Amino acid sequence: MKELEEKIVLADSLETLEKVRVELFGKKGVLASEFAKMKDVPGPEKKAFAEGLNKNKAVLQASFDVRYEALKAEEIERVLKSEAIDVSLYGTLAQKGALHPVMETMDKIIDYFVALNFAVETGPMVEDDFHNFEALNLPKYHPARDMQDTFYFKDGGLLRTHTSPVQIRTMLETKPPIRMIAPGTVFRRDFDVTHTPMFHQVEGLVVDDKGTVSFANLKSILTDFLKYMFGDVEVRFRPSFFPFTEPSAEVDISCIFCEGEGCRICSHTGWLEVLGCGIVDPNVFKAVGYEDVSGYAFGLGVERFAMLMHKIPDLRSLFEGDIRLLEQFR
Amino acid sequence: MIITRSWLNEFIDLSDVSDEKLYETFNSIGLEVDSIKKIDIDDHVVVGKILSVEKHPDADKLNICQIDVGSGSRQIVCGAANVMDAKYVAVATIGAVLPGNFEIKHAKLRGVESEGMVCASSELGLPHTGKGIMILDESIGDLEAGQKLHTYPSIADTIIELELTANRGDCLCVYGVARDLSSALELEMKPFEYKSKEKPKLGIARVAELHTKGKMTADLTFKLFNMQDITNSFLVQLRLAIVGVDIQDRLASLLAYTTHSTGVILRAYDTKIFRNENDKIVVNPTANDKGIIEIMGNKEVASVVGVNQNEVSIAHDNCKEVLIEASYIHPETLVEAVANTGLDTDDLYYKTSRGANPDLSFGLKFLDLLMDTYTDISHYDGALDVSIARENTTVIVDIKEISSIIGMHVDTSTVVNILHKLGFEINAMGDDVFAVVVPLYRHDIKHVQDISEEIVRIIGINNIQAKPLVFPEQPRLNNTTDRYRIKKEFKNRATGALFYENVSYVFSDKVLLEKYGFPLIEEDLELANPIAEELNTLRSTILVNLLNAVKGNVSYSKKSIPLFEIGAVFGSKREQSEVISFVFSGQLDGANVRNSGKPYSINFASFAQKIGAVIGNFELRPCTYKNGLVHPYQSADIIIDGQVCGFMSKLHPTVQESFDIPVTYIAELDFDVLMPKHINATPVSKFQGVYKDLSIVIDKTINYYEVATILNSLDIEVLKDSYPVDIYEDETLGDKKSLTIRFFLQSMEKTLEDFEIEDVMNQIIGILEKQCKAQLR
Repeated sequence: MKELEEKIVLADSLETLEKVRVELFGKKGVLASEFAKMKDVPGPEKKAFAEGLNKNKAVLQASFDVRYEALKAEEIERVLKSEAIDVSLYGTLAQKGALHPVMETMDKIIDYFVALNFAVETGPMVEDDFHNFEALNLPKYHPARDMQDTFYFKDGGLLRTHTSPVQIRTMLETKPPIRMIAPGTVFRRDFDVTHTPMFHQVEGLVVDDKGTVSFANLKSILTDFLKYMFGDVEVRFRPSFFPFTEPSAEVDISCIFCEGEGCRICSHTGWLEVLGCGIVDPNVFKAVGYEDVSGYAFGLGVERFAMLMHKIPDLRSLFEGDIRLLEQFR
Repeated sequence: MIITRSWLNEFIDLSDVSDEKLYETFNSIGLEVDSIKKIDIDDHVVVGKILSVEKHPDADKLNICQIDVGSGSRQIVCGAANVMDAKYVAVATIGAVLPGNFEIKHAKLRGVESEGMVCASSELGLPHTGKGIMILDESIGDLEAGQKLHTYPSIADTIIELELTANRGDCLCVYGVARDLSSALELEMKPFEYKSKEKPKLGIARVAELHTKGKMTADLTFKLFNMQDITNSFLVQLRLAIVGVDIQDRLASLLAYTTHSTGVILRAYDTKIFRNENDKIVVNPTANDKGIIEIMGNKEVASVVGVNQNEVSIAHDNCKEVLIEASYIHPETLVEAVANTGLDTDDLYYKTSRGANPDLSFGLKFLDLLMDTYTDISHYDGALDVSIARENTTVIVDIKEISSIIGMHVDTSTVVNILHKLGFEINAMGDDVFAVVVPLYRHDIKHVQDISEEIVRIIGINNIQAKPLVFPEQPRLNNTTDRYRIKKEFKNRATGALFYENVSYVFSDKVLLEKYGFPLIEEDLELANPIAEELNTLRSTILVNLLNAVKGNVSYSKKSIPLFEIGAVFGSKREQSEVISFVFSGQLDGANVRNSGKPYSINFASFAQKIGAVIGNFELRPCTYKNGLVHPYQSADIIIDGQVCGFMSKLHPTVQESFDIPVTYIAELDFDVLMPKHINATPVSKFQGVYKDLSIVIDKTINYYEVATILNSLDIEVLKDSYPVDIYEDETLGDKKSLTIRFFLQSMEKTLEDFEIEDVMNQIIGILEKQCKAQLR
């Protein structure tokens, strides 16, 4: 018995153990031949003999199982070890491109307003004087036209200087109530460190019955929107002037770089100008044939938002496809 | 617009208003503060009275001055020539620390002791007031030796630069800014009244007359002066320097100072230009049909009202007889007339085009005061006048309407008070309803919303309670919204396939577009005023922009450059459409352990796979696009649902060379075609299918798509799919090639038997033998 147990324990591989199993438990194995002796055992001793054998068998089986598990575990461990690699070599393999920070910022802005049940509208980049200026209360020779250096075509067409013509187109095509944003590409004939001839705006317009849309409403939505975009900032409204809104305001957020202390980026004022807005001027409604309505409108530059949100130092770099910039947004 | 605290103080008492409060108020009433600067003058800088000046014995340019600085006389060596003319000067005594951390100490200049410094304006942090040292006079207050310079408010001033909006011509003068402050701060304006002390000798009508021609649209007042001598005050010099006006002429300085203070437009003429044959001064304001008013002299135009002045008519300091003109013309009339005539405009035009002050007598009285104080001048009694009957705009204001525009209840008394202080005349018409008469200087105010703006800015937007808008529920997810969502999905897939999103100008270089054979906008529809040569047209492809971006990245040592852009392109009629363009240049992969640091270059197969990862399944056929970027033997039409929607190609090697970039692949597709279409599902089989390979030998000239077309036309129900898996060419095949195609066969009803499979394969072989002379291998 001891000898048999030893054989099991000394088996040093699954193959050897398998041989031992056949030798012990096989049809012609040691145990089988012991059981065969049963028929020669006298009657009264048969029971004790059988019990003894079964007990021995159980002991052998148990030590076999233990040994088997151990050898199996060793075997798996050996296979696993043989497959070992330096995983840290492969971290750099994973690659992905990136969305452009300006476009991603624009998407984030669109997401906000779509969630507030605004429709998204678009219009052509090549516009005419009526949609881009005249209907927006910017008659010819209006001094505010100077603020928007315009690209003209030889036939009198122009590249839109803001997304506001989309408001005009939408109002001409549909009836109030209106609740829309117009994201898009706009053009000004200006090229220096802080100006590019093309940039992006998002414009918003809400129109409903006379007496329903107020400046207080504009304050509410824009304050919430700016907190959504920039986090916990302070929002300040300053009266301003736009030909297409009256009253008009510019909206500032507390400087996100110095938290209002004053720094180079906010010109030591503690505030960053981010939006223009106002109550739609009655002349605009007149131009599209709307009567007895009230509305608000707002507009913002997407590049400015993106640059502030991501601390991008150079405006012009946004239009150069520079992968060193883009790959930071992976 | 630059103003200073002491200057404002001439019109409104700001002694109880701090600089911080001023800054805050300006911003809150819509006069945005661009910069605010307090002039700090060191305690050791005092008024010095010059007792004597003599030349330095050993230095031509130096003077030895004895100066009374209050606490006694000091010897100070000074290099400025104009110290000779000075009585009172600013002296930095020993211990003074001037801007730039410049400390004044005892010094010896060419052997002569010097105990301090006589200061030029810039040495004290003030703007440059002219050559040499500052010569002080009583215009800044009583002068006494030893008086600390910072006790003079007009020197230790606060300089504020405002950024005015285009509608606020009324604030292009100190008086106008003060008026806005009076409403916001609830302070009264100081009354300004001045009557010349000197008794005039003669009536103007004795020597001068005025005759108008045509329809007058300008108010004009002319006054006549005899001028003996004109001096200039230090205060005027200093303030004009602060404002950035650089005028040497003393008379012109006084006019500029008056205009900046009052907003009234003034010009000075030498009367010679108006003298006729009878030696009489005759002024002929002449209106032309374009709305321009010329002030005609005897023979030539002396000036154009609000626009410019003839050089020869300008009165200079040596002029003996001067005609002063004050004018007002409505800015809207003027701007339109100038645009239509293309007249040259001078510096005053900025003010006249934004709206000057129509109160001409205010400006002239202000000038009188200056003239009487600083010049030896005598004036004629009365004036020559052109006065236009102008009707003020009247706006009916309902307080309830204003409240609903603002979204907050506003008291009647608040509205009345604000408007009154801003110079509006208010006539009650009933409960909470008023007729508001708009002053001429606020030509921008035309309706009740303009009035609301005045109320909003004076009460301060930050005092308006925000209130969310209740709005009718309505689905607003339109096609454009959907398109944005889909575009975003394409972009996300592109970044997953390694591409970086590019945004480039919608402009392009016409020469490049033409060189590479892309459509050009018709000449008469072209940009009239491009900003640069390389951006002189609208692009008809994004690829040229992308190749420029690749070139930039190559110069930044980038080895693998995958870019895409979704954007607008324009056809020859300037019609706008949207395309998605890809470029992949250089290495397919980064250098890494898997490729032993030697990554493959991008190739046609990998590029096609990446495009597929973005746009989904497509078919490729030999390219029908003809442009200079396309490689003639490695390019394809991209076909989706039988429709050609773009192309992909290896970049033509000559273009690659001219951009100096590595191997590059390009693709451009019409974005509209990529919009997802509605899909109906087809049932799938429960039974096992079988793959069968077939190798055929065909002419080298036959493209796979021709074989595929034949296979697709087969009407065999169990043939579910077929695709190429191997292509083999060698010398023994001559002008043939071996093509292996894998077929997938499956029935909806049962598992296919061998004989059925064989039957289908025989059909396929038969048709390929017949239609493309294929032989089995």
